[in-house]
Order: sequence, then structure tokens, then C-alpha cells
Amino acid sequence: MSGARIRGWIKSRVGARLIGAASALALIGLVELAIRAGMINRFIVPLPSEILTAIPRIIVEENVLHRFWQTMQEMLWASLLLAGVGILLGAVLHRFRIMRLACETWVGALAAAPIVLMYPLFLVIFGRSATTIVMIGFAAGLAPVILKTLEGLAGTRRVLLDVGRSFKLTSWQQFWKILLPAALPSVFVGLKLGLIFAMINIVGVEFLINFGGLGQLINELAERYDLPGTYGAICFVILTSVVFFATAERLERFLRPGE
Amino acid sequence: MMVEPSRLSGAATEVIDSRDSRLLDVDRVSKRFVTSEGPITAVDDVSFSIAPGEFVSIIGPSGCGKSTLFNIVGGLVGDYEGRVTVAGDTIRGTHPAIGMVFQEESTFPWRTVVENVAFPLEIAGMSKQDRIERAEHFVAMVGLRGFERRYPAELSGGMRQRVALARTLASEPRILLMDEPFAALDEQTRLLLGDRVLQIQQTLKQTTLLITHNLTEAVQLSDRVLVMTYRPGRVKRVVDIHLPHPRDSEVVSSDAFGHYVAEIWHDLREEASRGIRDDESRVLEGRPRR
Amino acid sequence: MNHGADTIAAGAATGRRVTFVRVVIITLVLGGWEALSLSGWLFRDVVPSLTAIARAIGRLLANADFYSNLGITVGEIGVGLLIGGICGLATGILLGANRFLSRAYESLIYYLGPTPKIIFFPVMIMWFGVGSGSKIAMGVVSCFFPIAISAASGMRQIDRVLILVGRSFRATTWQMVSKIYLPAMREPVVNGVRLGLGVAIIGTLLAETKLSNRGMGYLIIQAYSTFDMPRMYALLIVLFVLSIGANAVIGRFGGAGMRKA
Repeated sequence: MSGARIRGWIKSRVGARLIGAASALALIGLVELAIRAGMINRFIVPLPSEILTAIPRIIVEENVLHRFWQTMQEMLWASLLLAGVGILLGAVLHRFRIMRLACETWVGALAAAPIVLMYPLFLVIFGRSATTIVMIGFAAGLAPVILKTLEGLAGTRRVLLDVGRSFKLTSWQQFWKILLPAALPSVFVGLKLGLIFAMINIVGVEFLINFGGLGQLINELAERYDLPGTYGAICFVILTSVVFFATAERLERFLRPGE
Repeated sequence: MMVEPSRLSGAATEVIDSRDSRLLDVDRVSKRFVTSEGPITAVDDVSFSIAPGEFVSIIGPSGCGKSTLFNIVGGLVGDYEGRVTVAGDTIRGTHPAIGMVFQEESTFPWRTVVENVAFPLEIAGMSKQDRIERAEHFVAMVGLRGFERRYPAELSGGMRQRVALARTLASEPRILLMDEPFAALDEQTRLLLGDRVLQIQQTLKQTTLLITHNLTEAVQLSDRVLVMTYRPGRVKRVVDIHLPHPRDSEVVSSDAFGHYVAEIWHDLREEASRGIRDDESRVLEGRPRR
Repeated sequence: MNHGADTIAAGAATGRRVTFVRVVIITLVLGGWEALSLSGWLFRDVVPSLTAIARAIGRLLANADFYSNLGITVGEIGVGLLIGGICGLATGILLGANRFLSRAYESLIYYLGPTPKIIFFPVMIMWFGVGSGSKIAMGVVSCFFPIAISAASGMRQIDRVLILVGRSFRATTWQMVSKIYLPAMREPVVNGVRLGLGVAIIGTLLAETKLSNRGMGYLIIQAYSTFDMPRMYALLIVLFVLSIGANAVIGRFGGAGMRKA
């Protein structure tokens, strides 16, 4: 291959991605060597090879699948709450214009607030249980769902509403047949955002209160000073999070082609 | 300057001027691109030169490679065949002797008019007081005195292009290179701006190379017009404009003006038609748009 | 035809109605709260009376101890945001400027962004100890990603021609960055910093609640373990007010002084 074609391949999407991945692996390899050579303290950073072998071990010993399912259950409940309550509130705010004007900035401020820091409060109210975790996930993800629902409904093109009025649709029909379908893309974006926030907070709180699924796993392994296990579990959770996020993105692109 | 159509290639080549006072010399420049359809030649063996103080326009249909030429002469694009020299110095990347005015909106929206114009002076390290003073001089030159502290968002499109022009003039380039700077403006504004540009050019004796698709503009402003062919872009014809200086936009009504326009249109029309036919066949054959 | 005056009058009337509705909502919420507290329906301490909360806030703000802890937390967040911000900005600019680097590494940052950073805390403790170091590290790790991502996309949405202008005037790399890139991407970067501040606050505070003997997070957990509910509410309220305020201040900073063409 000529020099120009090699350069072209390197710069292409596929080529660059592979080189990026390869360089990351090379870095890990370097870390492995550095630890073996004693340059990095192996009681602070375990050998990457050990981390790799730790992963199947914890999957078997620590019942990872069960824990994963626990986290997923919490996610599911949080999602249902988010979809039901969030979309409803968004629709209500849209329906009553004065409410929207009064509350929209408050919801925006809520989106920026560190809701998860209230977890000790939720612990008191709901106890050390899955309910606490679900509630925090719900609370953390609520604001974007409301805001995006509102945005979607409000952004419906005027002319579509005029068409509805020209056919003498009732308010109810107008909402179900025109507003909601028009707002659906935005609503999905809001749900995606809400779910991402929810998941981050759910796993985080599991870790903090040492209860639940994957987050608790990391905490336990850390308290046992199982270094390779802890790092391995962290990698596993990252993987889960990445897969989740990527799926959400795919879904969004599927539902909103051309965006 | 004599023109001899070469019987071999059908392109016009220039006989070397005996004065040999070439500030800008473009020597056998060709540029090829690799596209999804295979290699295309944007510019094919183009040669010309510009003497100090001359105003030269390059006119052609879209797709004739004139923007490519602009980028080549300005040093923004490398990897071409041939050579471009400024006062004997070969161009390798951007050259301080060449100032560029772009077609798109290029004023910095976060800077006031005078701050925009002072930009090249700031880059060169001039002190704040000096460069503001210098910039104000050029702001006045383009007729925007009083607007120094305004932001581009407050100005009209034509005024913004004047700011861009002032900014480039402030760097006092030996060659002013402009790529259809007035393309976005309406005809009347163009004519009046053209007047002003010509006035400035004559006052400063600024050597200028203008890329345009506008016939009237080319004839109104230039000493010489180079007509390009549709892809691959070659110099089809060179027309000397012997209209008297000082000129203003009134000149558009003169007979001589009409003759020049007709002469240029005669060649340009053929190339423009080829461009349109190519566009149409692309749609029919399902090839990608240009 | 006096549409102008009519619209202005209508606008003012709406403004008054909005204020009225807000006051009503706030009154209902506070009233409902107090009623709930007095009724003893949930066990009383979970919903302390408003006066109890108010007194707790008062005691909190009068206590020097509170301010020293607040100072520690603010310091940790500040340093974390500074380090994470500069690294994120530099990384984002690099990725935005160079298509190869972007294709090779940007997905990595993009997909690592939405992971819960608190799970890195055990590792941070091992690397940086149990003191402020690990909390700052949490802040850095948290805010790096949103800032890098917004800087990278901010770079790409810069009008190409502005970069060409810089090149045509032969600006040095540093001049390009300071005089063209940064001003041009001010708005997306400020939004990224707002987001970064938000997650840095969360990351640092959660770390403090998990393992610390100083800082706001520590105070919150302390209130939890002593079951001093009014104090916990007071702490949370103060925290929220400060966070929302800081966010608003940064937002103001991003909007002013920038005119779009």
C-alpha cells in the first residue's frame, strides 16, 4: 500500500478507532509491566492481568447476575415512575399556561440541584431498602423528563394545532391525537436523559448505603480489600453503564431518524 | 499583455511580459482531488502573473476551481503541482505578503468593529494604543467612521464585509486576495461598495486579485479579467480592460463597458452551460451533487 | 391601533398572575408541610415543624464550625473544578481540533461520561488517602468529562471561516486558542462548566458522606447518625441554595458580553 493510502486508512473512522483502542490496550500493557517492575505499588494498583482474571471469579462467586438483576429491577421501577409522573406533570404544566410560567424555572433549577445528596433523608423516610434507591433514582431523573415533555408539547407547530381546530377536535382529542404524537421525540429524549441520571444515582446510592445490586458489590469488595475484585467490579459496572447508554442512544436515533 | 491560444491544449497561455515586474506569479498550477467518483482535476495548468498595483479578476462558473485557486494562492491549501511566488518568494503555507478576504461572514462576533480591524496588528504584537489608532484609520477608509465601538451583530451584511476588508487592509498586505466578498449582497450595494473598493485600491495602489462570478463587478473594477473554463479549470481567455481611471459605478452605462461585458460573457456563457448540463446529468445518472 | 401598549399591559398582568400563583404554591407546600408535621402522621421527626427547621438553619449559620466545614468543601470543589476544568478544556480543544484524535478517543470520553463516578472512590482513597485529596480527585474525575465533551463539540461548531481568518493572519497556536477558539466557543464551554460544577459538587459531597471527618458531607451524615432531622434539613436547604446560586452565577457569566451575529 502506498504511503498516501496508509495515511488515509489511519485517518478514517475505522482506522482511527482501532488505533485508539490499540493505544489504550498498549497503555494497560505498559501499566502491567510497570507494576511487575515494581515502579508502581501493586497494593495500590493491582496487575491488569489479575483484574482480568478477577472478573470471571466475581461473576461466579459473587452472584453478579443476581446483583445485576437487582439493579435492573430498581431501574425498571424508577423508569415506570419517571414515565408516569414525569410525563403527566409535563402535560399538566403545558395544559395550564400559568402553571408553566410559574414553575418552569423552578424545575430547571431542580435539574441543576444535587438531589442525590438527600439520600440520608430518604434513608430515614424509607429505611435501608430498595425503595430508597428507587426513589432517589426517580427524584434525580424527574426534572429532565418534565422539561423535555414540556418542550415537546410547547414546540408543536402552530399549524398542526390549527388543523385540529379546523376539524373541531375537543381538547382531549387535540392532546392525544396531535400534541402527544408531535411531542413524542422530545419526550423520548427526556426519558433517555432521566434514565441516565436515574441509573447513575441508583448505582451510586447502592454503593453508598451498601445495599442493592452492583453498587453494593463494589463497596463489599472494597471493604474486603479485594483489590483486583474491586477494580474488576468497577470495570464491570462501567461496561454495564456504557452498554445501557449506547442502547439508549441507538434507540433514540431509531426513533428520531435524521436528527 | 498578449494572449496566444495554444493550438495543442486549447488553453490560453501568456507570453512573458518584457517588463518582468511580477509581484505575484502563478506558474503551471494544477490541483487534483480524490472524490467518491474518482480523481477530479479542479485546476489544470493555470499560469498568470500580476504586476504591482494591478487589479486582476478571475471569473468563471461555479465549479471552475476559482475558490481552489484562491486557497492555493492564499497558502491555505498545499499538495498541488506548480509554483506560486510572491515577489520571488515561493509560497509555502500562508504568506505575510498576502491578505485574504473571505466570501463568508468572517468578522469576529465577540469583538467590536475597531477590535476586529485591529486583530492582525494585535497578532503582530503592536501595542494597544498604536493598533487602535491604526485600526481607526482603516475603519474610516472603508467609510465606517463612527461605528468603531459597534458589534458586528448590529451592522448590515455589507457593513460587515467592509469591516472584514478593513481588517485585511490593516495588515498592509502586498497582495489583496478576495474571494467573492460581495456575493451575499444585493446588486446595488455591490456597485456602491465596488466604487469604494476601487477608490481604496487606487489610493493605496494595492495589488489586488479578485475571484468573482459577477461580470459587471469584474469589468467595473479590474485592469484585467481572466476567464476560467468549467472543470477542469483552465484560463480560457484574458481580457484587458482599457477603461479610464478614475472609474466609478457610472461607468456601467458606457458603451465600452457593454462591449467588455459582452466579450467576457461570450466565453463565460459556454462554460456556464457546461456546468448546468453537468448538474443535470448528475441528477439523471444518480451521481452525487457537486 | 395601540397594540404596543396593550401587549405591555397584558405582559404586566401576566407577570402579576405568575407571582400570585407562585405565592399560592409556596404557601400550600409550606402549609401542607406544617400540617403534616403537626399531625404526627409520619413519625414526627421525619417532618419537623417549619419553626424547628428555621431554628436549625439559624443555629447552623451562627456556628463557626459550619463555616469551617463549608470552607473545606468549597475548597475541595474549587480545586477539583480547576484541575478537572483545565484538563477537560485542553483535552476538548485537542479533540475538537484534530479529527484523527477525535475519532480515536472521543467515544471513550463520551461513553465514560454517564457512568457513576462515585464507584471510583475506593480507588481514589487508595491513591490519594482518606483526606481531602481523594475528595478533590472525585471532583476532578466528575467534572472532567462534561467539560471535555462540551469543549470538543464547541470547537467543532466554530465557524470554519473564523479559523481561516486566524490562519490567514498567521496567528501562533496560542493566539489561535486565546483569541479565536476560546471566545468563539464561550457559550458551549460555559454550559459544560455549569454541568461540570453540578457533578463536581455531587462527586465531592458524596465522597465526604462516605468517608470523611470534615466538610459538608460529613456534617450531613453526622446529622443522620444522630437523627437530628431539623439539622439535616437545614444543611440540605443551605446546600441546595448555594448550588443553585453558583449555577446561576456561572450562567450569567456565560451570557453577558457575548453578541451573536
